[in-house]
Formats: sequence, C-alpha cells, structure tokens
Amino acid sequence: MDEASLITAAQQGRVDAFNELVLAYQHQVYNLAYRILGDPASAADATQEAFISAYQNIARFRGGSFKSYLMRIVSNACYDELRRRKRRPTTSFEDFGEVDEEANPALINGGEGPEEYAERQEMARVIQTGIETLPPDQRITLVLSDVQGLSYQEIAEATGVSLGTVKSRLARARGKLRDYLRTHGELLPARYRLDGVSPGE
Amino acid sequence: MTMVRLFTRQAKERKQRDELLSAYLDGQLSAGERARLEAQLATDPALRAELEALRHTVALVRDLPPVPIPRNFILPPTVAARPRPAPSARPRRAWAAPLLTAATAVVSLLFVVVLAGDLLLSGVGRLAFAPAAAPPKEIPQVVLETTPVVEAEAEEAMRSGAMPTASMLPMPTEAPLEVPPAATAGAERYEAETPEGVESPVPAIGGGPINEVTAPAPGPIPTVEVGVAAAPTAATEGTEVAPSMIEEEERTAAAEGEREVRESETAGPAPISPWRALEVALGLTALGLALATVRAWRARRRQ
Repeated sequence: MDEASLITAAQQGRVDAFNELVLAYQHQVYNLAYRILGDPASAADATQEAFISAYQNIARFRGGSFKSYLMRIVSNACYDELRRRKRRPTTSFEDFGEVDEEANPALINGGEGPEEYAERQEMARVIQTGIETLPPDQRITLVLSDVQGLSYQEIAEATGVSLGTVKSRLARARGKLRDYLRTHGELLPARYRLDGVSPGE
Repeated sequence: MTMVRLFTRQAKERKQRDELLSAYLDGQLSAGERARLEAQLATDPALRAELEALRHTVALVRDLPPVPIPRNFILPPTVAARPRPAPSARPRRAWAAPLLTAATAVVSLLFVVVLAGDLLLSGVGRLAFAPAAAPPKEIPQVVLETTPVVEAEAEEAMRSGAMPTASMLPMPTEAPLEVPPAATAGAERYEAETPEGVESPVPAIGGGPINEVTAPAPGPIPTVEVGVAAAPTAATEGTEVAPSMIEEEERTAAAEGEREVRESETAGPAPISPWRALEVALGLTALGLALATVRAWRARRRQ
C-alpha cells in the first residue's frame, strides 16, 4: 500500500495501517526529537506522544506532506517538553551527556574504522551539547533544517511562523553554534576542527 | 554611551551579516542580494572566513550520525479503541470550556434555588390545592409509595420529550371529574397495547372500574407501564400537530385520571406542579451542561 492509501485507511480507524506509517517514519521522528531534546528517554516519550497524537488527529490531516504533518506534531511535543523543563528543571543532567550511539555498532559506516567511528561520536557529542545551548525556537529550527533537511517553507509550516522568521531563527542558531564551536573547538577531534578560521573578528 | 551604541550597532550588523550568509548557504538569496554578497566576499577575507565557519558548522550538524531508535513506536491496538472525535466536533474553540463551566454553574444554582423554593413553598401549595381532591383514605400504603416514582417518570419523559405537553399539564387536574370510567378504560386498553403487547388488553373485558386492575398486589406493574407508554408518544408525537396532541392529551388525561382514581391521596394534584417541571428541566440541563463541560475541558487539554 502506498502512503496515501495507508493514511486513508488510518483515517477510517485502522491502527494497523497507521502503524505502517509509524514504521516508515519512526527513525526520522525519533532523531528529530533526540536532537532537540538531547536525551534518549525524553526523545522516546516525545516520539510516542507524537505518534499517538498524529493518529488521534489524523482525521484533520487533509492531504499535503505527511512528513511535514508529523514533523509539526513532534516539534510541538518537543517544544512542550522544553517548556516543561524550563518551568521545573528537574531533569537529571546525566541524561544529557549520555549518547548511546556507541552502544550500537550497526551505526558504524561502511569503511569507517573504529577510530573514525569514535571520533565521529565525539564530534556528535560536542555538536549536540552546542545545540542544547540554543533557545527552543532556534534549536527546533536548526534541527529541522540541518538534521532533517526540511526546506524553509516546510519549517515555516511545521513551526507555524513566517518564512522571514525561519530565516532569522536559523541564522541566529547557526551563528550561535558557530560561536560555541569556536570557544569549544578543542573538544572536537582534529579532523572536525575548523582550521584556518580565526576566532572572533 | 557611545560605546553601548557602537556595540549594539555592531551586534545588529553581525546579525544581519549572519542572516545573509546563512541564507546564502541555503541558496535563499535573491539574485541581487547574492551578487552583492559575492562581490563583498571577493574583497573581504574576514567575511569569507565567517562564511566558511558557518558552512563548516552547518556541515557538522548535517554530518551528525543518526541515532538508533530504542524501540518500535507502533501503537498498541488499545489506542484504536480511544475515542476519535469527528473532525467537525474536534476543533472546539478555546472559549467553549470556560463558557460551559459558567453556564453549568448558573444552571446548577438556578436548580438549587428552584428546588429550595419548591421545598419551602410546597406546604402552601398543597393547602391551596387541597380542596380540589377529596382524599379517600382507604388506599393501601403500597400504591401510595409507588406513585411518586411513576409521576416523576411520566413527567420527566414528557418534559424532556416535548414542551407542548408542559403547557397542557394543568388540564388533567380536572380529568377525573370529566372522564367517564368507560373512556378511561378505553384509554387504558390503548396504552396496554402499545408497550410491545407485554400485557394483553385484559382491562377491556372488565370495562369496569380501574381499581380492579390496580388495587391487588400486581398494582405497581401497570402503573410503571403508564410511564413507559407515555415516554415514546411524548417524544415522537409531541412535535406534531393537533390530532396527535389531542390524542395525547386524552391519554395523559386518562393516565392522570386513572392515577387520580387509584391514589387520590393527600398530596392532591402534585403531579402537575410547575415547580416540579422546572426542577426536572433545570436538573437535566445542568447535567447535560456538566457533561459537555467535562468534554470541552478534555478536548482543550488535548490540544
């Protein structure tokens, strides 16, 4: 069954059809949530919450990009979670540094040796920490754009803001992350460092 | 002062520059903007360095390795059983919940006030109506106890079913005086047939006093049927025109009369008290509003 038929079936209340869509998108949705929230447990919660919400509201989905529809729902779920954290920051900070990619050797790219793999994980950790220094709006915009590869238009739809706002949020997010890497560049493995660019102006 | 202004101006310029560079990386600049920026880049090594730093940052983010999912997120079949509101009912407006809450409060308060008023004034009302019905005291206690329930049922069914019956209600007070026993029996036969033939039209054979039917032990059973029989007719015919209304009036009168004959006890014309009507209506409205309010708040929380 193609995506449109699955959506129609799901709209008629067939949870099995919707689960096909879940299987097709769960990696993307989870990765989005993970990069925004920074810890596996919260990302899993947000992902599950988003899929349930997407199913319950699927009657409202009227064509267009199902991916954008999902991305909007999961972005909202992440945004809510970030706001909750801000209100009562009880989340343990051990969670944040804990990146479990290492636990999965299947992620090692073909041809990437153990050393390269370890360096890549190290780079990911630094970038992730940098992403988490960004305010929620900018963080979500950056992840939608540069991790998920959404266009400005898609991001505008997913986050419910204008193209101009997307543009400036993304620029600020990238600028801040660049500044973060300048000050924390030594944490990056050598091959990921930005050589030849002088820090500051 | 000038330092602060200089600083803010620099920050602003920096922001504008970043926005240009960021959009440039995504190919989001207009042809004119791009040409201008490229001309600047050709002559300004610092700007070039900024662009490269930004490009590098974006490249690193894009190069982030995908994380494996910790588990499957397929929905359990129980989710399917959850209510999935129809698309029309779903987008409830934000003000619906508070408004319904207020409405529930107001109607509930009215209900309490009316109920209190009824309870306080009921004694006066009974005194006023007392002469209308002479209380024969031979009626057995069992019948007395069952009647209020029947009244409430029959009335509730009529109230909730159709308004016109409410306005007609005062009339049956005189019914027992006007309706001859034969007519009452006929009406009773008609009613006995309506509820799915549960009871064969036995009363017709006698054609005599209804007391025969109701006085013995099975008394409560026919009385309940009055309520049952009244409910569907009131609900379905209440909105229709004259003939059905007359029919219903007759039937109501008959039912009322029957009851009157059977149990014209001390309470007198209690079944037709407008207070009771108002109470039932308010009570039901309050209940309905309360349910709607709960739903509205749930829907709002789910948004």
